[in-house]
Amino acid sequence: MNPIPALRFVVRVALQNIVRNRGIAFASLLTVTLTLLGAGAAVGVVFALDKVLQQEESQASVLKVFMADHISFASALNLEHTLASEPNVQAASFENKDQAAAQASSTLGLGGALHVLETSGGGNPLPASINLHLKNIAAVTAINNQVSTSDLLFPGPHQTDYNKDVIPRVEHYILAAQLGGAILVAVVGAVALVIITISVRTAAFVRRQEIEIMKLVGATDWFVRWPFILEGMILGVISALLASGVLLGVGVAFGSGGSLALGVGVRLAVLISLGLILGGAVLGSFGSLVGIRRSLAT
Amino acid sequence: MSISTSPAPPRPQVAETTRPARHEPPIIVFQNVSKTYPNGATAIRDVSFTIPPRDFVFVVGASGAGKSTIIRLLIREETATKGHVLVEGQDLARLRRRHLPRLRRKMGIVFQDFKLLPTLTVAQNVAFAIQVTDPGRSHLKEKVGEALYIVGLEDKLNTFPTELSGGEQQRVAIARALVHRPRIFLADEPTGNLDPDAGWGIVQLLLQINHRGATVVMATHNREVVDLCRRRVLAMEGGGLIRDEQEGQYLKDGEANL
Ligand SMILES: Nc1ncnc2c1ncn2[C@@H]1O[C@H](COP(=O)(O)OP(=O)(O)OP(=O)(O)O)[C@@H](O)[C@H]1O
Ligand SMILES: [Mg+2]
Repeated sequence: MNPIPALRFVVRVALQNIVRNRGIAFASLLTVTLTLLGAGAAVGVVFALDKVLQQEESQASVLKVFMADHISFASALNLEHTLASEPNVQAASFENKDQAAAQASSTLGLGGALHVLETSGGGNPLPASINLHLKNIAAVTAINNQVSTSDLLFPGPHQTDYNKDVIPRVEHYILAAQLGGAILVAVVGAVALVIITISVRTAAFVRRQEIEIMKLVGATDWFVRWPFILEGMILGVISALLASGVLLGVGVAFGSGGSLALGVGVRLAVLISLGLILGGAVLGSFGSLVGIRRSLAT
Repeated sequence: MSISTSPAPPRPQVAETTRPARHEPPIIVFQNVSKTYPNGATAIRDVSFTIPPRDFVFVVGASGAGKSTIIRLLIREETATKGHVLVEGQDLARLRRRHLPRLRRKMGIVFQDFKLLPTLTVAQNVAFAIQVTDPGRSHLKEKVGEALYIVGLEDKLNTFPTELSGGEQQRVAIARALVHRPRIFLADEPTGNLDPDAGWGIVQLLLQINHRGATVVMATHNREVVDLCRRRVLAMEGGGLIRDEQEGQYLKDGEANL
């Protein structure tokens, strides 16, 4: 059995459907492009937000445990070792007083003040610390509780250096961004589905006589369906290409320094485009299946 | 054989009988079949008959008597509400939807309104039946040519349906129904839209198809045709089968004119 003529038939009918009903096909192309555009933009925004949040999260999940000045280097290493083996700790590094001073001079511009203090006999006021990179922000509170009872630590109210407020706020942002993005994608997806369904239903209505004859002479349901599914897929994929093109254009126009707008990288842009194409094809074929159902009912 | 214009084609001789194979198992069985449509209209009631292979059967009756319903049950466009419809021993109520194409390919079906695709030529209309059922389309040209030769339209391959007479259009529909070499040929009012001469041409063609071995069921209220052919007649009235006669007539003696 040679499948090539059947394939040709399916492709020809699908293209004819689009060309003959170009009014509704164009309308569906346009609206599906718009909805995919919305979905693509939403995904881009969510990714960009997520990146920002990740940065903040990674900062929030660094826990600086300040050491009391009197402890020996050996006990400091010992404490570092103990903390490093905690399950929620990704990495631990020791930062001595000199390093703390150097860090403060470079990032905070405190070099002059520190120099004055040291030369006037005041010594280096900055404590040594163990810097913990935690696996997630949720672990910060637990680790903090654990270390705050140790007598090896710097006395006083600010033994560790992190902002308690940041954690719930960051978590809140992440949740809101993900939820909002999901809702947006779901809504525009539903709109696209309805429009493709209407388009295919119209094509099937125009071809009702052909469908009737196909069924009478013994064509299988799948043979009747395929051209319409392909039609939906073609509309979906073309829409996705258009949407990707527009998104890329906007991204390039508003981007800078090798990145697109919102700091979206090339890799992500390609992924979004591929996702839109896949989404368009799936939406198109699913919409067609729904659209053709009624015509196959009898 | 060319029937396109006058003179009228020779009318079939009553004596030219085919041989319904009554000793073989019946190819079509109606067993106490009733059909009530979803709107509550009962189209046929408790209808029973059997048709042996190679029989030629007229189904007659007034408008609304249930003729088309019998055809629709046979092609399983509808299913019986009560009773059983069997084709080649297969109970159509139990036929799975995915096996429906196999049933339809065993059958040739034509209607009063031809159902040709106006954008396709004669040859393309006939080829369509192969293209949508046989992805390999083996011997497409030969099969189309043969079917059009049987109906006498081998010289109209590239003509469009709108350029043909009604009788010729029905011939194209018959050719399309023949490409699968059906064992059963169903015709619902095939002469309904035709003038008497063209109608006769179609009936002759159906007799010829029957002669080649197909079982033919023709629903009609064409009295002249039925009375001249003297074939088996199933007469319907108000959804019931009132008469089943070999070499029957449209009306029984003394029956009111329908
Ligand atoms: N799809 C349907 N839905 C509801 N009722 C129907 C349907 N088709 C037919 N009927 C009813 O069933 C009865 C029989 O109809 P059917 O079409 O079988 O008659 P027929 O003998 O073919 O008539 P005609 O000579 O006018 O074609 C009629 O009363 C008709 O109104
Ligand atoms: Mg009828």
